Amino acid sequence: MARKASPARLVIALSVAGVLAVFLLYTSIAGGGNPSLPPSELAGRTGEVQLAGLVVGPVRGDAHDGGLRFRLKDISGDSRTSVAVLYTGSVPDLFKVGRHIVVDGELERGTFVAQPGSMITKCPSKYAPKSDSA
Amino acid sequence: MPELGRAALLVTLGLSVYALVAGAMAAHLGRRRLARSAQNALVASFGTTAVAAAVLLAALLRNDFSFTYVARTTSEALPTAYTISAFWGGQEGSLLLWLLVLTGFGAAAVSLNRRWARDLIVWVVPVFAGVATFFAFLVVAVASPFATQVAPADGAGMTPSLQNPYMLAHPPLLYLGYVGLTVPFAFAMGALLSGKLDERWLIATRRWTLFAWAALGIGQLLGSHWAYVEVGWGGYYAWDPVENAALMPWLAATAFLHSVMIQERRGMLKVWNVLLVILAFSLSLFGTFLTRSGVVNSIHSFTQSSIGPWFLAFIVVVVTVSLGLLFWRLPQLRSPTKLESPVSREAAFLYNNLLLLALCLAILWGVVYPMLSELVRGEAVVLGRSYYDFFLRAFGLPLLLLMGIGPLIAWRRASLKSLATTFRWPTGVAAATGIVLLLLGAGSSVPGLVAYTFSAFVLATIVMEFARGTRARKALGASSWPAAFASLISRNRRRYGGYVVHAAIVMLAIGIAGSSAFDSVGEAKLARGESMTIGDYTLRYSSLDERATANATEIRATLDVHRGDRDLGTLQAGKNAYTIEDQISNEVGIRSDRLTGEDLFVIAEQINRDGSVQFRVFVKPLVNLIWLAGLVFLVGSLVTLWPDRREQRRLVARASEAGLPATP
Repeated sequence: MARKASPARLVIALSVAGVLAVFLLYTSIAGGGNPSLPPSELAGRTGEVQLAGLVVGPVRGDAHDGGLRFRLKDISGDSRTSVAVLYTGSVPDLFKVGRHIVVDGELERGTFVAQPGSMITKCPSKYAPKSDSA
Repeated sequence: MPELGRAALLVTLGLSVYALVAGAMAAHLGRRRLARSAQNALVASFGTTAVAAAVLLAALLRNDFSFTYVARTTSEALPTAYTISAFWGGQEGSLLLWLLVLTGFGAAAVSLNRRWARDLIVWVVPVFAGVATFFAFLVVAVASPFATQVAPADGAGMTPSLQNPYMLAHPPLLYLGYVGLTVPFAFAMGALLSGKLDERWLIATRRWTLFAWAALGIGQLLGSHWAYVEVGWGGYYAWDPVENAALMPWLAATAFLHSVMIQERRGMLKVWNVLLVILAFSLSLFGTFLTRSGVVNSIHSFTQSSIGPWFLAFIVVVVTVSLGLLFWRLPQLRSPTKLESPVSREAAFLYNNLLLLALCLAILWGVVYPMLSELVRGEAVVLGRSYYDFFLRAFGLPLLLLMGIGPLIAWRRASLKSLATTFRWPTGVAAATGIVLLLLGAGSSVPGLVAYTFSAFVLATIVMEFARGTRARKALGASSWPAAFASLISRNRRRYGGYVVHAAIVMLAIGIAGSSAFDSVGEAKLARGESMTIGDYTLRYSSLDERATANATEIRATLDVHRGDRDLGTLQAGKNAYTIEDQISNEVGIRSDRLTGEDLFVIAEQINRDGSVQFRVFVKPLVNLIWLAGLVFLVGSLVTLWPDRREQRRLVARASEAGLPATP
């Protein structure tokens, strides 16, 4: 705020530069995040993505023994495309057919192979509860 | 009855609009009686909102399912306590609670300050009224809690995980925090509008800000504890957008509470302080927007509701108008003093502010990034846990260190030599702690080791400050050491309460570092009689029991726990299946070690038909310090909040010394 040169400006300028440097450092090391996609846009995608969809049955298998198998389709829109998902690891309490879930993973030969333990369920209740596992 | 509620809200809206329009006119034209009338309208709007709240509460307690809201959030079987918590369980009730707290705080803050800051208050009233108008409009026209229907036989009930004592305190505390931030915002805007840009708006709102900030802090910790013991995935914070929504305004308010001291003492950072207040208030609105609009993928926000666009519009208006006002008053906000040296108390507080703000903005960036990337690239990119963890370390660790340095460094200009003397002991303690921990094997996590070392440094400075102050008071004639200690704190509550809060933050840092950087996880599928080991614990799965309760079937696996040769008794983990709600919930088993603060945390992930169980077990060192930190934080906040006439007189005197009409 002072008109004459004061350390305040220097301090602020240096701090801003420092913060920007940290940001650059982060993006260069860790890269960006994962794209979040609905099942209908998954076809032909390579690399790790976050898949958000509605669980379609039947749900087969054991998440701790060979993996849980089910299909996901778009939560909204008209698309009827669904994708097969193979999931291992913790299954949140709220997981079941008809629920909205989010999983991280990669498409491998037509099946979306989820990272172990990456499933997050969203509660469909109107009542916006804070009830889930992450 | 619903008519009474609707009518009361309509009157509230009318009163708010009147207080806004008449208040602004009165302030602009200098009409005293009109200004008084606008103030009265603001106070009255609290009364009418209270009537509406009473109607809703009564409907909840009577299980009057002809109220759509009541039918949607409660049921006959729901215990009374949770029926009350349903008030803030749904969106319409939350908005009504917001309006109630807002008008209540507005009425109280205006009434308490109207004598000594009359010229300021005339402009504060229309600002409060403007915010109240927005919320009153929402509950009248967009999301009415008094919508009615043909009463169904029973309500839809409450999600089991919300039927929990934490839900009685966690949401209202967050609301008190969010809404409380309106008070400094309204006074800051009042100061800009009136052109009375002295320090009175800070003095008038210091306690309000502290209160809001403390409520927000405690509310978040309660939420974390709830997530830890009830949700049961083994963590307490997931960097979820809705959790961040409460953390961001808290960080902004923390920065504000610190930079205020620089303005009070040295008249600097005036523009900065107004900016922080605007930021904190906007973030609290943004938090509500996030929770309620469903624009981001959150594990909490699922209400695709109609209020989202309204909130967004209101945030845009608030930010535009307040920044416009700030820009307009910029010439009058020049500081009489400036920073003399980059090594001084002022500078340390400035670094603290910049780091807090950087952390806050980094989190904000992470929260809005999916939306922005969707706009720019056409697909939403989500930043994960590693993003937030990175910035928590990058900005949080230096902040931790500054917490020890800032309060002890000299005002204006500190010589490096004096610094070396001041920090001789704390540096020694920190170095010794670091070396000992390194020898004990804490080098497995560098950020964890750094956090421990910095924590030791800060704790040493705090202990040193208390020791030095107590000795000084004893020398000044206090009868005993405890008396000296008590008089030290009571004579300077802000300072020593602040140290207590700092100690709480250090405990929090140690708890987070211990439980996240030095934890261990184990997973195993066990048949009855089999055991697993994790760390030095051995767990033997001994039996599986099932029992039926009123609304759920409870399955529990019992484990015999040993640590080395010591028998630590049994631990139970399992699942509850709620029949009516058709939901399953994890019921984790936790064994806390009182001495070391370590938790053994057992989740029965999957219970198989053959009686075998997939267990997931965590050992979380020091995690209990996080909850203990909450208590210490509360104590420290209470010390600083406690009414202190002497200090208030001093501040008022200082304000009037500066040639201000303290009592017109």
